[in-house]
Amino acid sequence: MSGPVVILFVLIGLAILLIALFAFRPSVTTTPTRKILDFAALFILPSVCLAMGFQVHMERSKQTQFCISCHAMTPWGQSLYVDDLHHLAATHFQNHLVPHSQACFTCHTTYTIFGDAQAKLSGLKHIYMQYIAGPPKVIRISSPYNNRECLHCHSGMRVFEEGPVHAAMMDQFKSNSISCLSSGCHDVVHNTSGLAKEKLWRPGQP
Amino acid sequence: MKFNALGFDRLLRISGVLAILGLAVEAYTLLWFHPLSFVAFALVGGLLIVVGIAVYLLSLLSFLKSSK
Repeated sequence: MSGPVVILFVLIGLAILLIALFAFRPSVTTTPTRKILDFAALFILPSVCLAMGFQVHMERSKQTQFCISCHAMTPWGQSLYVDDLHHLAATHFQNHLVPHSQACFTCHTTYTIFGDAQAKLSGLKHIYMQYIAGPPKVIRISSPYNNRECLHCHSGMRVFEEGPVHAAMMDQFKSNSISCLSSGCHDVVHNTSGLAKEKLWRPGQP
Repeated sequence: MKFNALGFDRLLRISGVLAILGLAVEAYTLLWFHPLSFVAFALVGGLLIVVGIAVYLLSLLSFLKSSK
């Protein structure tokens, strides 16, 4: 359990205790003091707990384990372990080009001002599809992948910018007129349909 | 029935119960690692806490009005 979660549990416990004390045994404080303590117990503490809880849930929903906890996402989780470095997602995951704990979120958020919020809203759509509408037979990315998400990390990387192919086409990448995932470039991303034929990497085993 | 007819202490108790329930739901969702935990937090826990706070603030307002 992380530090902020422990602090949040302490605050929740304190809030419950104070609310129970002031709301159900109002005689414990004198009138002027009581109003201030009531305000702290019934307004300030619950508001702080609510804001912190929202933040903790937002951070938690960025975790790889959270994303693949839906059954339909299992193959996408497995694709991170494909033992073939031509697989884009696998090479990023296995070489720590994305943090292991936030592998999905790092590539699938949008790097804009409200990117995190947009990612969470689409996450709610996923929950609707998982529990109400049912997951589609063929799962596809909801909108074409924007190069902006790749360039967020790769822009400024020497090995990327000095590569002759990348250097020659940099303007097209930046304007999104050519996708990084175009055929012949980095077109094998998750390839979940061919997963059964792939050998999987087991960390720590040669 | 007027809001302040319930009495300040009673409204305080109602808002207290709502807030405690909301906080308990929030604590539970923090221990529940599941895609629905955020939904439960926002739609159940968050809503209860917000309604609890709103009842408290309204009771405070009606108390101030009646004491003028």
